[in-house]
Amino acid sequence: MSATAYSRIEALGVYLPAAVQTTDQLSALVPGLGEVDIEKITGIAERRVHDPEPAAGEDSFGMALSAARDALESSRYRAEDLDIVISASITRFKDGNRFTFEPSFAAMLAKELGARSAIHFDVSNACAGMMTGVWLLDRMIRSGAVRRGLVVSGEQATRVAQTAAREMTDSYDPQFASLSVGDSASAVVLDVSTDAADRIHYIELMTCSEYSHLCMGMPSDRTPGIALYTDNKKMHNRDRLKLWPRFHGDFLAKRGQTFAGEEFDYVIQHQVGTRFIDYVNQTAEAEFAAPMPPSLAVVERYGNTATTSHFLTLCEHLRAGGARPGAKYLMVPAASGVVTGALSATLTNVGV
Amino acid sequence: MGMVITAAGTALPDTSAPASVVDLAGRAARGALARARVSASSIGVLINVGVYREHNTFEPAMSALVQKEVGINLDYIADPEPAAGFSFDLMNGACGVLGAVQVGQALLETGSTERLLITAADVHPGGDADRDTGYPYADLGGALLLERSADPHAGFGPVRHYTADRPTDVEGYLDTDTMGRHGRTTITVRREPGHAERLGEFAASAVADYAQETGIDLDRTLVIGPSETADDAGAKGEPHTAAPVLGYLRALDGVRRDDYEQFLFVSVGAGPSAACALYRPEGW
Repeated sequence: MSATAYSRIEALGVYLPAAVQTTDQLSALVPGLGEVDIEKITGIAERRVHDPEPAAGEDSFGMALSAARDALESSRYRAEDLDIVISASITRFKDGNRFTFEPSFAAMLAKELGARSAIHFDVSNACAGMMTGVWLLDRMIRSGAVRRGLVVSGEQATRVAQTAAREMTDSYDPQFASLSVGDSASAVVLDVSTDAADRIHYIELMTCSEYSHLCMGMPSDRTPGIALYTDNKKMHNRDRLKLWPRFHGDFLAKRGQTFAGEEFDYVIQHQVGTRFIDYVNQTAEAEFAAPMPPSLAVVERYGNTATTSHFLTLCEHLRAGGARPGAKYLMVPAASGVVTGALSATLTNVGV
Repeated sequence: MGMVITAAGTALPDTSAPASVVDLAGRAARGALARARVSASSIGVLINVGVYREHNTFEPAMSALVQKEVGINLDYIADPEPAAGFSFDLMNGACGVLGAVQVGQALLETGSTERLLITAADVHPGGDADRDTGYPYADLGGALLLERSADPHAGFGPVRHYTADRPTDVEGYLDTDTMGRHGRTTITVRREPGHAERLGEFAASAVADYAQETGIDLDRTLVIGPSETADDAGAKGEPHTAAPVLGYLRALDGVRRDDYEQFLFVSVGAGPSAACALYRPEGW
């Protein structure tokens, strides 16, 4: 294998549980909230929730497996062609209610898919997990270490919502953000770009670790369940939101480029909530002194799906059929850590 | 271009407080940086490969907390000389260090960073491995500082992975059905009877395959393999993800240069997965 200049997004896949929970239904389970309107605050009308029955195959592993198979159906590659499988789930539930630490999900997914000779490892980087997997795969393809690979994630994120619903007493509770999550899985296949029409132009990520403690996930010590504790005010304050445009702007300036000159057709922000997305885009417009392209979102229907959000949004957008071939996409992660960055890609012939 | 280990370090728990990955990885990393006389801000990428961690924390990446402990890219905007450090966790059971070495090679070759820090720390979620007789691993942290070498013959060779076509011998998980309110301090590590022998045989076959694939002379190669104890490092229990760091330090300490041309790292564990990588220190 030889080094190459660029990788590309070759195919995408998703899995969404069939069961829908409206925000009104969720609110009814959280008596401590009183009259607080979750939908008004988050912009999320509904989310998908996993079927807890093992036979449904909707634990994190089962959903990841389904998304991987969905991506491979649209890909020109078969599982045995994959040089690497990277799994990025935060919630690693397998065999029902086991939160797995080893073997890696990637080892078990590769085995189940039939990617027997694939390099495999899990990446954990909060909601930037899939983006981190894509960053690594891009570098491994460019260095010639691998030719093609799969990044996949399945999330039973609503488990933290269940815990929050049991334990929350008011809307200032650090578990409030847990009410915005939804379940899903997403997968992306990358390979070598031979044509500017399909190309990851760059993907750059950074972690500002001063704020790494602002969003912590671990089992609850009050009721049996996993929980997420977020200091929303500090996590999403204006200085945090300036990190991406500042970092991205510096990256472009070193290359003698500007944000406006990038001429993005679409931006996909992390799907935290509609107001968050608007606020990030407004902050960036001010920082870049340039307008934002149309912002794609699925958060109203699926909630915050954690690691899967960008690739779920992208896949839904491409499957809807209205996307202009050759459009240029900007994806911006925002994750606990605090992780931010930018992925720039032109997409023309992506298998969806 | 070879990727070489500039410095390595290990850390043991301070018995006055519960063992923590953030503390162990942080101290091991700071020790390595101090030995190499390298500033924290010069680290472009930090990869943490530990599996077991305090409170069974699943968010953020432990690497972000370790990054803060070490003082790498605290705030890109507030820092007068911003250096955009990045970190993430890479987990693959006992094979994490070699997986991180493999991606590290790609990161150096693509100019994504000049320096890479790998931390490998595991602790019992309850903070004291000795108090859980069913948990086999030591509370132990290790760190490797990696960078390019001008010596074209030095550094890591190819990292190769091997998978056994049978069910895993080792599983580690939190059983959320039975944890009750104790999920932050509970962990299950289940190992099949005879796992050590089977994994030992698997490691041996991986080494033989690797030697054949790369054409190395095993008689002139010091194999740094899985180790059953960390007694010499002062830890009770088996070293887990930090085993290659411990093995490397032992090898450097005891090796006679005339006897060997190179090291061969081999890791084996849950999957069953094994990984091998050749390593030649600078100046050998």
